Amino acid sequence: MSPRKAPLPNPALAVTSQPSSLPLTRPEGIPERRRTPRIPEAPPVPAPPARLEEYESIIGKPELDELRFLGSGLAGKTVKMVNSTAVGGGVAEILNRLVPLMNELEVRTKWEVITGGNDFFEVTKGFHNALHGAAYDLTQQALDVFLAYNEQNRQRMEFGEDLIAIHDPQPAALVRSKEASHARWIWRCHIDLSSPHPGVWDFLRPLVEQYDAAIFSSPSFTRQLGIPQYLFYPCIDPLSEKNKDLEESLLQKVCDDFGIDRSRPVVTQVSRFDRLKDPVGVVQAYKMVKKYVDCQLVLAGGGASDDPEGAVVLEEVKEAAGDDPDVIILNLPPWCALEVNALQRISTVVVQKSLKEGFGLTVTEALWKSKPVIAGAVGGIPTQVVHKLTGMLVHSVEGCAYQLRYLLTHPEFSQQLGKNGREHVKENFLITTNLKRWLVLFQILLGVAQPRGTT
Amino acid sequence: MAAAAQAPVVTQRANKPFYFNSESHLTRIGRERATNLAQLLEGLKSCPDASIFYHTFQTLREHHYIRGGFSNDFAQWTFAACNEAGLAERLASVDVRDFTSIQEIRERIAHTVESYLKANPAAGARPSFEPFYFCASETVVTPTPFVANTLPEFAEALQRVSLHSIHHHFITARLRPPLTRNDFSVWLEEELGLVSLAARLNRIDIYTSTLNDARQKILLLVQQEMNGGRP
Repeated sequence: MSPRKAPLPNPALAVTSQPSSLPLTRPEGIPERRRTPRIPEAPPVPAPPARLEEYESIIGKPELDELRFLGSGLAGKTVKMVNSTAVGGGVAEILNRLVPLMNELEVRTKWEVITGGNDFFEVTKGFHNALHGAAYDLTQQALDVFLAYNEQNRQRMEFGEDLIAIHDPQPAALVRSKEASHARWIWRCHIDLSSPHPGVWDFLRPLVEQYDAAIFSSPSFTRQLGIPQYLFYPCIDPLSEKNKDLEESLLQKVCDDFGIDRSRPVVTQVSRFDRLKDPVGVVQAYKMVKKYVDCQLVLAGGGASDDPEGAVVLEEVKEAAGDDPDVIILNLPPWCALEVNALQRISTVVVQKSLKEGFGLTVTEALWKSKPVIAGAVGGIPTQVVHKLTGMLVHSVEGCAYQLRYLLTHPEFSQQLGKNGREHVKENFLITTNLKRWLVLFQILLGVAQPRGTT
Repeated sequence: MAAAAQAPVVTQRANKPFYFNSESHLTRIGRERATNLAQLLEGLKSCPDASIFYHTFQTLREHHYIRGGFSNDFAQWTFAACNEAGLAERLASVDVRDFTSIQEIRERIAHTVESYLKANPAAGARPSFEPFYFCASETVVTPTPFVANTLPEFAEALQRVSLHSIHHHFITARLRPPLTRNDFSVWLEEELGLVSLAARLNRIDIYTSTLNDARQKILLLVQQEMNGGRP
C-alpha cells in the first residue's frame, strides 16, 4: 500500500509543527498529478432533490414535526415565488430546494420566472452592481426598459395566490398588481443594500415600500424602510451534492485525482479567481506558514474560463505560487460540486480570506463539515464566524498566517471550533431553518399565528 | 392532592399533565443601530422590549451549543467590536434569571453602560469595528406530541423533545408567571410535590452549560429522584 492510500481519519489531529526542510516521505506520483489534475469534463446527472423525511437524520424528528405542524397551519394556502432565472445563481439554487419542500408540506407553492430581452437583463445587471455601490450612469431609458418588461410580465402573470414572494430587484415592480390581488406581498432581497447608488435606490424604494414585508440576509444589508424587515440568513442544503456526507473512497479518489497528499495538512480556499477573494493573499499567508508547518495549499475555484478578469487573477495566483509543488491550483467547472465537497472535507483548515463578501456560503459549507475556518471579517462572514468560538476572523495576510500556524498546531482547539461551527450552521443556516422561517412568516402575515415579542 | 404526594414517585400521577411545547422564531430587524457605545446606550433606552428580550434570551438559543463566551449580544459586541473587555465582563454578568421583567433587564444593562461611560468618557464616541443592529424576535409557540403525566413519562419526553422546546420551558419561561422559575420546576413542584427536585432544576446554570448539557443535567436529577436519590 502506498502512503497516500492510508488516509488519516482526522488530519487535524495528526498535525505536527515541522519545518519544511526536514526530510519527508512524499507519496509517489503526486507531483505529476498536480501538474495534470483529473477534472471531470462533463456535468454529472443531477441527483433528485431530497424529500423532507430525509432530513430527519440531520435535524431530528422533533424539528421535522415542528415543520409539519407549521405547514399544517397553512394547509390549503397558496404561494407564488417569482425570480428572474431558473438556473444558475444562489436564488435559483435555493428555490429549487425550497419549493418542493413547501409542496411536500401541502403549502401549494408555484415558482415562476420573469422573462425579458437582453436589454432588460443588461439594465438589471447594471442595477445589481449599482445597488452594491458601483458607479452607474442611470438613464431614463434604463428606467423605461425596467418598467416595460416588468409591466409585460405583470400582464402575463396571475396573482391569485395567498402569498406572493418576489425575489430581488428584477421583478420588484410586479407589486403594482398588489391592489388587484388579495395576497400578502413579500420582497426577498438577496443583495447588500448598505451603500446603494442613490438614483437606483430612489427609484426602487417606492416600489419596495408597497410590499407588506421585506426580507434581508443580514441586518447590515438593510435600508430604513416603512415596512417590517425580517432577517433570513442564506442557507445550504445538507443533502445537496456540495454538502452531503461522502464515502471515504470518494475522498481518496478526489485526492488522487488532484494530487493531494493526505499524510500532511491541507489548507484550502474555495472561491472564484476574483481579487475580492484575495487568493494571492492566501498564497502569501501560506508561504509565511510553510516556514514552520509542512502543509499544502489548495486553491479551488472557477471563473477563470468564462471571465477575462478571472483568467488574469488565475495567472497572478500562479505567479505568486511560483514553483512550490505544494500549492495546488484547481480551476474547476461549475459541475464539480462533489469534488468541492470532498476538498472541504479532506482539509485540515479552510480559509476564506475575502476582502469583500456577500454572505459567504463557502464559509457555511466548511463550517457544516466541522472544519476550523479562518475568514476575512467582511460582509456576512462575522455572522457565521464568531471569533474564537466558531472560527477565526482576520484582517490581514499576516493575521491569516498567524491563525493558520495556530490552528495547524493546536488540533484540539481546531476541533472545538469545527464542532461549534457545525452546530451554528445547524441552528441557523440550513435549508430546513430557512423553510421554517418562511412558514412562520406566512403564518404571521396571514394571521394564522399571533406572534409574541417577548415570552 | 395529599394522597398523590404520598404515592411512590415513579407511579405518582399529576392532576394536570405537562404539555411540551416548542417555539419558532423570526428575527425582525429594528430601526436602531449603534456605531459606538454612546449610541448603544441610546438604543438600549429606546428600543422595544422585544429587542432586549432578543439580545439576552434569544441569544442563548441561537448560540446554545457554546459553553463560556459572552452570554448576551450586548456583551459580545462590546468585547468584539468595541474592544472594551471590562464593560463586556460586567454586561456578561447580567443573569436573566435575576429579573422579573424585561424593563428590569433593560435598566440594569443601560445602567451598566452608563456607569462605564461616566468613568471612561472617551469610550463613548470611539467608533466600533462594526455596528450593533438592534433586532427583535417574533415567536410562535408550537405544540409537540409529548405529554407527561408521571415522572418517568417526563424523563422520556425530555430526551425526545427539541432543544427549542427546552429553551421555551427552561429559559424563556422565567419571564412568564410565576416569574423567575422554569416550567419544569413549577410542574414538578405543583403537580408531583417534588419541591427539592424543582429547586435543584432551577439552580442549573444556563450560562456555563449548552442547552444539551442542561437537558442532560435535568435528566440526571430526574433519574436520581426516580432511583430514590441514588445516582
